[in-house]
Amino acid sequence: MKRFIIISLLAAVVLPAKPCLWFDTYNSYLFSPYDPQEFRDRVESITDDNWKVYLNTDEQYFWFNAEDAIKAAQKKNDQLMVSYIQNLQKYLKCSDEKQREQWDYPTKQQLAERQKTLLSVRTYAQGKLKTRLRSQHALLVMRCNMLLGRHADNVTFWNTTGSNMIESVYRDMMRNIYAGALYHTGSEDAATQIFAEQGDWKSLMTIYYKRRSYAAIRQEYLHRPDSPVLPFLLKDFVNNAQEAIDAQGNEGEFGGKLFIRNISKAEASQMIALAAQVVKEGKTPVPMLWQSAKAWLEFMYGQQRQAATDILAATKMEGTERMKDNARVLLLYITAAQAPASQDFDNYLADELTWLDTKVTKDRFFLAARDRLTHQVLNKKYANRPTINVALFKALADGDWQYYVDTMRVENLKTYINYASGSGKTALDRYLLSRQQLDRNAMNDLVGTKYMRLCQWQQAIDWLSKVPASFYSTKGYAVYAAKRRWTVEPWLKRQWLKEGEEWSDPKPSFRANPKLEFAREMQKMEAEKNMLTGQAQQQHCYDLAVRYAQAHYTGDCWFLMRDGKSICDTLRVNESDLGKKALQLLRQACLATDFKLREKALFAMTYGYLYAEKDAWCYSEWDSSAADFVVKERRQSPQYKVLTALADLENQNATRTSQYVSRCDNYIQFRKSYK
Amino acid sequence: MIRRLLLTFLTVMLLCACSDNMPEEMAEQNAVYYWRTELRLDSTERAFLAQHHINKVYCRYFDVVMDDDGNPVPNATITFSDTLPAGIELVPTVYITEDCMHQPHPGLAEKIVKRIQQMNETNDILNVREIQMDCDYTARSRQTYYDFLKEITHHSSLLSTTIRLHQLSMAPPPVDYGVLMLYNTGDPRKFMERNPVLDKRDVQPYLRHLDDYSLPLAAAYPVYLWVRNINGVRVEHFVEPDEILQVKQAVEKKRPELRRTIVTYHLDKENINRYKPETYEEIYHH
Repeated sequence: MKRFIIISLLAAVVLPAKPCLWFDTYNSYLFSPYDPQEFRDRVESITDDNWKVYLNTDEQYFWFNAEDAIKAAQKKNDQLMVSYIQNLQKYLKCSDEKQREQWDYPTKQQLAERQKTLLSVRTYAQGKLKTRLRSQHALLVMRCNMLLGRHADNVTFWNTTGSNMIESVYRDMMRNIYAGALYHTGSEDAATQIFAEQGDWKSLMTIYYKRRSYAAIRQEYLHRPDSPVLPFLLKDFVNNAQEAIDAQGNEGEFGGKLFIRNISKAEASQMIALAAQVVKEGKTPVPMLWQSAKAWLEFMYGQQRQAATDILAATKMEGTERMKDNARVLLLYITAAQAPASQDFDNYLADELTWLDTKVTKDRFFLAARDRLTHQVLNKKYANRPTINVALFKALADGDWQYYVDTMRVENLKTYINYASGSGKTALDRYLLSRQQLDRNAMNDLVGTKYMRLCQWQQAIDWLSKVPASFYSTKGYAVYAAKRRWTVEPWLKRQWLKEGEEWSDPKPSFRANPKLEFAREMQKMEAEKNMLTGQAQQQHCYDLAVRYAQAHYTGDCWFLMRDGKSICDTLRVNESDLGKKALQLLRQACLATDFKLREKALFAMTYGYLYAEKDAWCYSEWDSSAADFVVKERRQSPQYKVLTALADLENQNATRTSQYVSRCDNYIQFRKSYK
Repeated sequence: MIRRLLLTFLTVMLLCACSDNMPEEMAEQNAVYYWRTELRLDSTERAFLAQHHINKVYCRYFDVVMDDDGNPVPNATITFSDTLPAGIELVPTVYITEDCMHQPHPGLAEKIVKRIQQMNETNDILNVREIQMDCDYTARSRQTYYDFLKEITHHSSLLSTTIRLHQLSMAPPPVDYGVLMLYNTGDPRKFMERNPVLDKRDVQPYLRHLDDYSLPLAAAYPVYLWVRNINGVRVEHFVEPDEILQVKQAVEKKRPELRRTIVTYHLDKENINRYKPETYEEIYHH
């Protein structure tokens, strides 16, 4: 099920206007056989370390500072380094000007000067190729050529000079520039091999973007079984297959072919067969890669038992350390999806989660894999053990924990709160309990709110009494709670905040717990209702209806029952339909003999926010011949019937119609068709 | 004397009425948005411009975004590797993120105009007479944006801005005309139910504002594929030709002026090939 929890109230307010805003899904890729760290990040890290050594500092080094480096070089009387840095600085300035966005757009003259500078730096660097800093200067030559667009010169330079340099990060960077130059001069195949070896995934994707398929992988394997491009292509294929599968299920919910590379079942089957062939032939140095891909494809395409056998076999094959970790993650996922609930599984899970904890901080893949495992497998596996389920979300610092505690039954929440303060019996309990730190005020507020949602006012009062008023100043909805009143009739007046009020107000302070005040008032009014009769009771019902309508998720005082508001809100499980309650009370109020009260109650019953879309009196439908939407009535809908009753009342009392009725656009529209 | 004063008063009133409530008529013309980071046209794109008599290209020059220090800065500036065919007017267009308008930034308008002018000069782009600003302004940012537009008008002879459907309910901006964006109309989270790029059900609630929106308007229709990145996954949304044409029919019925200047978003070989030439002809039908 897709969910969207509005954590930030402001986000909810601006949501319709933000087409780029998105929410997390949990279909992250589980096949990740190599470290996705980019080549660029890696070399930057090494060069930063080199400068740290040169500057003789242990401080964190975030970016190259030419002035500091020149001072250090001068101190060491290293003239060669001084001149290198000065020229590097000139190059970096050109590069920066070319890449960095500035308000001052370059003039033609500045562009010509940039060209001149690059040529002079290149000439300087070419003269230093036999010095102690020959690698750095050779790199500088190639960098200048690159910015000047002289790719053929770079191919020649690498072949004659760069390739002869000793192994170093500078040589790696030169080789990367050389690969780019090969690509620009038409030697794409050679370029891709280098990019793949270096882990320059961005460049590889640029080249392979439109030719990723089983056929491309097979061709590459036949051409070169140990091609460094194969892990990249295989990963891309398997991940796209995962997307195709996810799109069919609840997780993707995309429906239809929406992806750049949609892998068909037939193509996936071909890949499974190819992976088996590759492992059998023994030409690959990393059979674990192919066996893991095979197992994960099998699992996704319904061959779950075979997948379990294959992934277990994969964990015993040759592969890189990353491939071993990836196989272990896949084994956990495939096992968790199939193993029956048992103490043994709980123990295994506790061990594997502990292992994953050591990995998640270093690499996002493990975090994403754990998220997918939690949401797609463990969530279902522990569905009948809600305490474990919610404790898992908390332990894994999952953002959805808030959603789960917010929507779970109040009894289950109370059980969970008790569990979280216990000591636990099993390995899984101990793992989970070491990661449950609950905010007491938030929990008491939540339990109290849940009782409010069920209209169990006494229990709500018991729990909310434990929450100090100051707690509510910290809530995102504080400004709404401070400005709005539940006694205002929502069908007569909407309590909009003034423009900018949501953003500019300081955190309001509350003299009393607003929810507690509401719960007490509701308890009192509900108790009084049955003691009244006649018009007094009808007026009382009307007043109560106002409060229920305000606390409804479409009311202005939605914050009484929820932490946030969204246009997508609907009635949730484990909460009373306050709109329905308001309507029931208004029905009683409608029995009033007093015209004004009866009119008001009937008018209130026409209030659109109290009805589900299907119960609204009309809807719009596209009419091709009219090239427009036309309004269609639903004569059997509850709202239509109430509008009819209101119209009849007004017909009978034509001179007494209140302005709030005669000026209501909804009513006016209705009267156009109902005479 | 009194009669002369009265006559003068009436004349002034009439002029005010003309400028405030009677939008000048939009020219009958076909246009495209160009939204890539490099201006380079291939033969398909050139043929498209000729075939559909495009005489105006709204070319995105750069974006303006907030940097980490809370200052608006240019981003994703276009590079010019090509020129437009002769006879086609180029309109520098700048997309400015809404958060840039959460508070006034003195001098921003001048910086933008100067940058556009320098880009024109450095890249030999001549005869530019208009600037277009694109901003998804909301109730929160509207006033700052309108003040900013007023400042731009001090530096540019002709100024237009994009108008999103939700912006129709606000007072019109102080520009010469607007381009009504008939895309990105949906709630991106409800893409399972409705196409977030364009769905007539999302357009319908705004049609009522078209009658009395007191700013000349052009209409812009989507021909692009919305590729979204969700957890590293690229997801595509495509609008069926019928949907575009039904929306065109609906908005033109409400406001016939919208059939005069017609824009498509955006010029790209892939977009050209995505729809049949007949579909483009129908979109550009005046």
